[in-house]
Amino acid sequence: MTTGGIKQPQREKPVALELRKVGRVFRSDTGATVKALEDVNLLVHQGEFVTLVGATGCGKTTLLNLIAGLDTADEGSLRLGDGLRFGDNIAHVFQHYTLFPWRTAVSNVSFGLQMRGVPRKERQTRAAALLAKVGLQGFENAYPHELSGGMRQRAAIAQALAIEPKLLLMDEPFGAVDDSTRTELQQMLTDLWQENQATVIFVTHNIDEAIVLGSRVLVFSERPGRIACEFKIELARPRDRMTKEFTELFIQIRTALAGQLD
Amino acid sequence: MPKDVQENRKPWRLSRWLGCPPSDNLREIRASRTGSPLGWIVVPVILLIIWQIAAVRLNQPWIFPPVTRVMDQLVHPLREHYASGSLLSNTFISLLRVLLGFLLASVAGIGLGISMGSIRMVRSSLEPIVEVLRPLCPIAWLPFAIAVFKRGTLPQVFGLGYTRTVFDQVQLGMVFVIFVGGFFPILTNTLDGVTGVRRNYLLLAQALGAKRRQVFRHVYFPASMPMILTGLRQGLGLCWFVIIAAEMLPGAESGIGYLLMYASDNAAMDIVIAAMLIIGSIGALLSLLMRNVMAGLVRWHGKEI
Repeated sequence: MTTGGIKQPQREKPVALELRKVGRVFRSDTGATVKALEDVNLLVHQGEFVTLVGATGCGKTTLLNLIAGLDTADEGSLRLGDGLRFGDNIAHVFQHYTLFPWRTAVSNVSFGLQMRGVPRKERQTRAAALLAKVGLQGFENAYPHELSGGMRQRAAIAQALAIEPKLLLMDEPFGAVDDSTRTELQQMLTDLWQENQATVIFVTHNIDEAIVLGSRVLVFSERPGRIACEFKIELARPRDRMTKEFTELFIQIRTALAGQLD
Repeated sequence: MPKDVQENRKPWRLSRWLGCPPSDNLREIRASRTGSPLGWIVVPVILLIIWQIAAVRLNQPWIFPPVTRVMDQLVHPLREHYASGSLLSNTFISLLRVLLGFLLASVAGIGLGISMGSIRMVRSSLEPIVEVLRPLCPIAWLPFAIAVFKRGTLPQVFGLGYTRTVFDQVQLGMVFVIFVGGFFPILTNTLDGVTGVRRNYLLLAQALGAKRRQVFRHVYFPASMPMILTGLRQGLGLCWFVIIAAEMLPGAESGIGYLLMYASDNAAMDIVIAAMLIIGSIGALLSLLMRNVMAGLVRWHGKEI
């Protein structure tokens, strides 16, 4: 629960991602500059589930895009752990436009495999198995517009898992679904994470979600975006929202976030 | 099965893919499906009756033939009209020319549209030329096309000479003019489609490991498919316009437009009107066909999420 550096690396696990003094500045057409990120230091170990929580527009998405290789930092360094490569085993789940509307569910899930030259039959089988895993059996041939918001995010997760990612980046993936669906999706994601042992970086503005999912919660400050403080979550899974410990953490994080608003 | 999954289970219908337009898709299609017996039967029958009475009273069939004489031509499409061939054979020749020109225009228009839309340099270097040539009426290309291709025909391209088949009537000059007619609407619509592709889809593809070439084929192409199909429909309609005009000009010696002109020169107004009805119906049929293809291929259109 300290500001700045991360002082207690889990020695048994290798590093998945390291960011040092990362900054990103956007320039508008009028020449005005906006510091989206400044002095971001982050060390993530393999198998960790890190949640980033902060107000909308505080640079969380920018940070995620940098990690995904969809954007480049203006300053600082970003190092991926051994075996991690952009466009190979780093998957990204977005909040909107998560699926290609012209492809069926199964064909969406197999997109990454298709790009990697996996034969049609094999990728269909693997995609169908993944759809079943996220609870979408029977919807293989449905188009995204025929699915509900929650089902689309299920399919999007399957799509990301299809490329067998070592690092899974999620940008408010459950931001647009209703509460009960959200809870189901969180449970599913936790199960998948425990099973796959992938590293997950999950962005949200929902404190409750951050605590339920994360093994570590990073609180993001606003403009310029930086990591203000972090909380280690050691509650047993599946996490019960109705416990005293959960509520205490919630209040602490809430306070930390509110402190950023001043 | 989770709750949100159960609630959305819908029957999967193949018919929506193959059959008539799923009218819940494009507003345009919905408009085209509002056909009622009033418009399809009642009004045409009334008009035909008025026409028949007026023509019989006027009694000058070389100017205004009665319905019955036009119908007589339409039910005998194989009747040879002197050396000009029959209604059916000439229609077939026109369709063949259009098909070839349209196919060439599709390949070139879609290919160039995608490259112009996705590669800035290609666009900036070609856009001025396109903007100048686009407003030019395709028929204006005919003298140039005839000068370049002379009387060359399709079989001659393959070194076959005179084949005594219908293909001898497919003059390259004609095909070129049709090509020009179809090319620009296909190109501009494809271009609009490609420039309108959401950046999110490009990012998603990139995040899933798509290489640049794969992004072309798997994102730009399918994402702009609705606009491409709109372009193809407009292009095909224009091709059909252009061929009739081209065939009516001096120098043509076959095709439904030629037969129409020939009949007019011989005061055979019944054949002229029969040809007009055929041209109109085929135009409508081609448009309907393209709409159905469109509705089947891009059921997702307008439902992006």
